[in-house]
Amino acid sequence: MTLIAERPGPGAARPYRFPQVVRRVVAGGQVVAAHLPGQNLAVALLLLDAGAGREPVGKEGLGGVLAKALEEGTGQRDATAYALAIEALGTELVTGLDWDTFQASVQVPVDRLGAAVELLAEAVRTPRLDPDDVRRVRDDEATALRMDWANPGPRADAVLRADLFGADNRWGRPMYGDPDSVAGLDVEDVTVFHSEWFIRPGTLVVAGDLDRIDLDGLAAAAFAGTGGGPVDRGTPIEVPRHDRRRIILVDRPGSVQSTLRLGHPAPHRAHPDHVPIALAGTVLGGAFTSRLNHLIREVRGYTYGIRGEFASSRRFGRFAVSSGVQTAVTAPALVESVGEIARTRAGGVTEDELAVARSWRAGQLSVELQSPRAIAGALTTLVVHDLPDDYHARLRESLLAADVAQVSAAAATHLHPESLTLVVEGDAALIRDELVATGLGEVVDHPVG
Amino acid sequence: MPDSGYPWPISTTRLDNGLRVVVSEDRTAPAVAVNLWYDVGSRHEPAGQTGFAHLFEHLMFEGSVNVAKTEHMKLVQGAGGSLNATTNPDRTNYFETVPAEHLELALWLEADRMGGLVPALTQETLDNQRDVVKNERRQRYENVPYGDAWLRLLPLLYPPGHPYHHATIGSMADLNAADLATFQAFHQTYYAPNNAVLTVVGDTGVEEVVALAEKYFGAIPARAEIPVAPDGRVVPATGVPTEETVVTDVPAPRVYVAHRTYPFGTPNHDVVTVLATVLGSGRGSRLYQRLADGERIAQPDLVGAYGVDLAHAPAPLIATATARPGVSGQRLAEGLAEVVDELATVPVTPTELDRAKALLTTAWWRQMSTVDGRADALGRYATQFGDPATVADRLPGWLAVTADQIAEVAAEVLTAADRVTLTYRPEETP
Repeated sequence: MTLIAERPGPGAARPYRFPQVVRRVVAGGQVVAAHLPGQNLAVALLLLDAGAGREPVGKEGLGGVLAKALEEGTGQRDATAYALAIEALGTELVTGLDWDTFQASVQVPVDRLGAAVELLAEAVRTPRLDPDDVRRVRDDEATALRMDWANPGPRADAVLRADLFGADNRWGRPMYGDPDSVAGLDVEDVTVFHSEWFIRPGTLVVAGDLDRIDLDGLAAAAFAGTGGGPVDRGTPIEVPRHDRRRIILVDRPGSVQSTLRLGHPAPHRAHPDHVPIALAGTVLGGAFTSRLNHLIREVRGYTYGIRGEFASSRRFGRFAVSSGVQTAVTAPALVESVGEIARTRAGGVTEDELAVARSWRAGQLSVELQSPRAIAGALTTLVVHDLPDDYHARLRESLLAADVAQVSAAAATHLHPESLTLVVEGDAALIRDELVATGLGEVVDHPVG
Repeated sequence: MPDSGYPWPISTTRLDNGLRVVVSEDRTAPAVAVNLWYDVGSRHEPAGQTGFAHLFEHLMFEGSVNVAKTEHMKLVQGAGGSLNATTNPDRTNYFETVPAEHLELALWLEADRMGGLVPALTQETLDNQRDVVKNERRQRYENVPYGDAWLRLLPLLYPPGHPYHHATIGSMADLNAADLATFQAFHQTYYAPNNAVLTVVGDTGVEEVVALAEKYFGAIPARAEIPVAPDGRVVPATGVPTEETVVTDVPAPRVYVAHRTYPFGTPNHDVVTVLATVLGSGRGSRLYQRLADGERIAQPDLVGAYGVDLAHAPAPLIATATARPGVSGQRLAEGLAEVVDELATVPVTPTELDRAKALLTTAWWRQMSTVDGRADALGRYATQFGDPATVADRLPGWLAVTADQIAEVAAEVLTAADRVTLTYRPEETP
């Protein structure tokens, strides 16, 4: 035999360190920066407390339309001139939205960061918002959502969310809205949302070689002309669980796969069980080696992949499993997935599984936090959830210290297979009878349209 | 203009069995990227065996002589690492990034599946991964609107028998027919040390990596003759435009315009890369300015153009747009063709050129900002051009492109007579 049979052990562990964090208050806003010596690229990200959670019920998608409208010209230049100016620096204006925040960012070679942040601020703080442009952007966004909703997934996601959180609540409706909610927005909705939320200073996140970056200069540009005090972030929302499990069938005639979305409410981000919950989710469905992927993909061959994870924002959270499975095996895939969730709740995790999960999660902090973009994302977490500079180092320690008893207890406390909502988007005519026969719960047909 | 797109050290060593070992030390973060490029892709597949190179890639994760089934993923993730693999027409690559103290584990795993896969390969594993790949095909190509565009474009661009004629995912019929002996032979034929490049980037040094490579890979025998793929470098122009229209369940008309250009790595491909950025990257691009903003016939988020980075034949340039409501596929196709035609007749301005180069510069440094991005690039340049140090030439190559070169290349390879147009049209609603 030419190969070495014995598996090598690890070498001496290198100390883990997160880049040095610098925090400053400048010109009425907060700057949070990470020093990446020698890095040629830099990222600046303006973080505003203007996430989807700030949108009024019935106005879902407002933040997305405003984000696009920011680039339709500013007080200083029209849309084409703006595009040419910012792209000449080597970046586009990248916008993003989640439940807690709105984000606008630029990524450029470090010597261009100042000019890029000036343009970022120009769009965010002083957009033209010409009514004709806003209406056109709104129509384009509605069409874009309609295109997206022709894919499998968005409808199933929306149905699950509504069932878990209630469609009367903003957080029970899609984060980016749906084609109809966006089509129904008017110009005033957009201008009011901008004046209410986009001229507060917010936080400027910077990742790059700070020896070559003038943070005060960036902050002066980012916070110029802003005002308004801190805003109430709201408290965590109590979301009741359903008292029984049920299947909601969303018809997609001709679909060669069934899209599965399984879920129930779960704790918000600041819950003290956050780390053991994350590890329980990892063992069950958060990694390639997890129970769900092992059984449904590697043993059964039902799918290209299946994932299950706890996700959380400031005010609420959920556990959700998602996959696409071949139509003919929809029922067994669903039964076996629910079975793994139930088994994990009842029996907890094993030391072998947990060893992989905690090393993986801890190691990912070294492996995945390399680029300025990734570091900026990590800084964003600190800001949104009020975490200290040494959060990532402490997180690493708590991941590595979590034991089987804690993680199994988290699984027992926070997994609820009996109150899962099982959304299946697929060819109803082919799968309906088999879904009924599973006995997993009542099968409800989601209304068409 | 920077002198180099790769300001880190590069060392190359060739083991006696032909394995090339490329090392690039960078102690910034406590992580290492390990990347193996095997010089085998779907271009090597004969008729009746489409999809085999990619299905084989899946089998490489299912165990080898000293690694039990499912253990590969578990060991890498259990070490805190990220891992994956990809197959394309040109090549297959396998990669993991791990905390630096687990470098030796990663090399052991890679050596075991290079030298010891065949004895561990079972019919059960093949059947399971065949099902997984068929589900991958359903999920990525069949169950999404326009998902099969790439599968349709390739045979329109490349004639039967050409190594790029068929898509890497393969056909369901061929995947169903795949037998175990074929895969055993596939490994013995192509997964040899002298057909691979091992690249390690990050918190380690040349001596350490070469010693470990010698220890784990050194005894794997070279293979004397590795069959070459069919030569696809010359694709005769047909002189006749090719058009295909698909009427199917899509939400709006969409058009793809495609041309054969030049192989990746040639100076003319650098011109195509800059040209594609001028044409279709960002809101300042010609397609956005003309079709999304100007005439407003295209959906703003769905216009774009890109040059594909295939190295063994004239690589495709693809431009695409999706119609705004009320705009026909034909109208959109005409608009798209007009903008592409003008690349030869309306000179690219200094502003357009600078914009494209700035965007490409950022994209380059973004790839270089991680050890895994660098390892993949070094493996590519070593495999395809024989010298990893040539990676440093790409960014300067892009930055040296002139407006005249763009017009010349456009006149040469983007002619209407040599154009492939693929149009999707929604079914008529009653």
